[in-house]
Amino acid sequence: MEFEAVIGLEIHVELNCATKMFCDCPNRPGDEPNANTCPTCLWLPGALPRLSQEALEKASLLCLSLGAELQPRSAFDQKVYYYPDLPKGYQLSQAHLPLSRSGGIDIVDEDGSTRRLRIHHIHMEEDVAKLVHEMEGRLPISLVDFNRAGAPLVEIVTEPDFRTPYQAMEFLKALRTRVRYVGSSDCSMDNGTMRADANISIRPRGTDQMNTKVEVKNMNSVRHVGDAIAYEIARQTAAVQAGEPVVLHTRLWDPDKKATLPMRAKFDGPCVPDPCVPAIELSSEWIDQMRARLPEMPAERAERLAAQHGLTREDALSLSADPEVAAYFDTLVEHGAAPRNAMHWLTTQLIPAVKERQQKLSVSPVTAERLAALLGMLAKDEINANAAREVLAEMFGCDETPETIVARRGFKQVSDAGALDPLIDKVLAEQAGAVADFRNGQAKALGFLVGQVMQASGGKANPKVIRELLGKELGAG
Amino acid sequence: MEPILQQDLTIAVPPDISVRGWPAEAGSKALAGYTALEDATVVRRLREAGAHLRDSGRASEFGFGLLDERPGAAPLPPVADVAAGETAVTCAGVATGVAADDIGAPADAELVMDFMGESRLAAARASVYGFKPSYGLVSRYGLIGLIPSMECCGIVSGSLDAIGAILQTVAGQDGLDFSLPDEDPPDLSPQQIRPEETIIGVITEAQGAPASGDRQGPPAPGHAEGFRAGLEKLRRLGFTLREMSVPGYALFSLVHRVVGSVEASSAAGRYDSVRYGPRAPGAKNWNEMYLMSRGAAFGTLVKSYLMQGAFFQFERYEAFVDACRIRARLVEDMRQLESKADFFVSPMSAGPAHGAGGGAGAPAPSADEGRSATPPSLAYVYECFSSTLFANVTGQPALYMPPAPGSAQTGFQLTGPRLSDSRLLALGRLISGSRGGE
Repeated sequence: MEFEAVIGLEIHVELNCATKMFCDCPNRPGDEPNANTCPTCLWLPGALPRLSQEALEKASLLCLSLGAELQPRSAFDQKVYYYPDLPKGYQLSQAHLPLSRSGGIDIVDEDGSTRRLRIHHIHMEEDVAKLVHEMEGRLPISLVDFNRAGAPLVEIVTEPDFRTPYQAMEFLKALRTRVRYVGSSDCSMDNGTMRADANISIRPRGTDQMNTKVEVKNMNSVRHVGDAIAYEIARQTAAVQAGEPVVLHTRLWDPDKKATLPMRAKFDGPCVPDPCVPAIELSSEWIDQMRARLPEMPAERAERLAAQHGLTREDALSLSADPEVAAYFDTLVEHGAAPRNAMHWLTTQLIPAVKERQQKLSVSPVTAERLAALLGMLAKDEINANAAREVLAEMFGCDETPETIVARRGFKQVSDAGALDPLIDKVLAEQAGAVADFRNGQAKALGFLVGQVMQASGGKANPKVIRELLGKELGAG
Repeated sequence: MEPILQQDLTIAVPPDISVRGWPAEAGSKALAGYTALEDATVVRRLREAGAHLRDSGRASEFGFGLLDERPGAAPLPPVADVAAGETAVTCAGVATGVAADDIGAPADAELVMDFMGESRLAAARASVYGFKPSYGLVSRYGLIGLIPSMECCGIVSGSLDAIGAILQTVAGQDGLDFSLPDEDPPDLSPQQIRPEETIIGVITEAQGAPASGDRQGPPAPGHAEGFRAGLEKLRRLGFTLREMSVPGYALFSLVHRVVGSVEASSAAGRYDSVRYGPRAPGAKNWNEMYLMSRGAAFGTLVKSYLMQGAFFQFERYEAFVDACRIRARLVEDMRQLESKADFFVSPMSAGPAHGAGGGAGAPAPSADEGRSATPPSLAYVYECFSSTLFANVTGQPALYMPPAPGSAQTGFQLTGPRLSDSRLLALGRLISGSRGGE
């Protein structure tokens, strides 16, 4: 019997708000343990939650970026369970009335077809504290760091529309791009600002039954999500074929063993309405204001870049995948850089250089305006490509204009025939063999001669002009 | 501008309302050794207005039900024999059965956490005024509560003027309590009431017997007479009294018990011995640590309330949903009555006679000089508060009016529409003025 998988995802995205969700503590989980705490996020007696406006706005923008419908009324519930990472015995989450419903993402499937993967709902919730397990001598101890407790999260719950690991990975990539576009999160699975759990079951292909699912957690990259789902499908299929039942439980992905392993499940308690956080009522005017704040989204941007600047579809999609890169490109072109040249220098020179220096493009000292000035000099043959690369490297360490660096380093290209003729004469006299080769039809000898003149000029000569002048001297076409 | 108290008031504050630097153990072992890090908003506002604060000496666990389970403490304080009209100087002491000398300087008023009528019952037992403000009028920030949707800071005093001044000082929007409704603040300045233009509703179902979720008990002695005397006085003053019915009145107690216990069960989840509070030694893992620490932390009454709430949360969630639905209906029923009457009057019992409580099969507390060998049951506590808790369910303001000085009768209770607090106090002043001033 042939089986197919039925997969749904639950994706937690940590919003990049300045503060936590219900207090004014900085939302910086990585700081010194327990530095960012207050009576509210420690839930000391008498403390009350105060919902962050920024969290609501960033969550709403995220919902809209995924095509979801913001609900006029949503509310928080208390999800009750006892665990030391949960300071008050319940997690504030939106179980009954989520912030948004519906929505979805179109992906291009492996066979090239477009497939709609639907979202069931998106709700807000607070993150829990971090537990660190250590040994104190021979005594095992658990330490709690409350910096993360109360950090603002949204959870995106999809419909069970996925059938393959590929679809799950494409969905996550597209979701990440959209959320980054609206600026609600950096969605990094590496550093935990995006976490995905997968619910997986199998059924005979062609049927519509929903069988017992297994939840898989602990995947910290998109690739791991794909690998874990693929493993779990294979594991369940083998189990069913061997006549073993699939039991409802949770498993952890072990990236070293490349396998999912059963874990002891946390107790899942009931959700009762929270009486302390007021219900959220969104007017249609407010929702319209949020919608007006949505930037140009990736698909639209790619279309515009292709139409406006003559880029290929692949180049336009690649540029649009990262909003920082796309915004940088737009500014570069606005400052006069030729689109194709801008695309080439951005992707082959600048981005690798920024990554090497562990910087972010948006705050790199090489601003789009400075790079445009450099590319402008290149386009006007005032410098050559080698010099431009050296100037670019220098631009990371100083705030001088490219023109100043070029002047200081003496990179200005020599294009004046009067200055180049003596060098050409000297090279032709010294390289009689190469001259003879060229005259005997060996065209590549011209390249050698150009190189010799460049060397004689200390790298400053304009190779295009040298080639022209040499051609004339040697009587070539 | 912040209102400034015109009177030089000393106000007693219980240990379940946070005062920065003061022990805030809320009468519970779960908070043993805990000191408040911040002032509750009510405390901060009173301090800023120049009030003197002192500890009230109350020690019932989380202020719930006024029951003090300390060894030797009364299961419920005995009915006070101080004369109505006496200032609240000894209110805190009398209400808890603790002599005023033991608890420091005299107070003009006392703040009391009100979950089901504690401020009114404490007042009834001391024959002074007890006031519960409208829900959402006074910030709950810093109150160490149990039932967020019903609790508030009540005020007990021998002077309605003092209650009015305190209310004016503590009420109003608070950036630390977002649960306060986003609404225009009511006029809290002293109001005038014209009896000839005022209708007072008398709820039929509230008159017969205290409503209880478990049983309908006989009225306590003096209860009916006090109420009849109150009605007579209102008539004499020229008010129009109109009988009206709330058919679901008996459900108030049940709704309070289900919703309140579920909220309490969640709210008390923070007392887990992870960040503060005593941690039971010898646990092999943290689940055991929870069980042992929480088992030792709470007194019998609170523990049984939390267990009841957990039962509804985990085993009978649908009953909780029903209770919430019925609560919404009861609130609407009361709102309907507000189109027919300006205020409501109802009987007010100071609680069943000692030894008469206990409720459905539960052992009654001993009347042995007010000392209890057996902790009182939840049913007994609910019976004690059966005539007051409806205002906590609906969020209406409520005022206990003590009987005339020297009277053996109990007083009665006045309630009004939500946010009619100032008018309700004005009504109280008018009534008390007619009997020769406070």
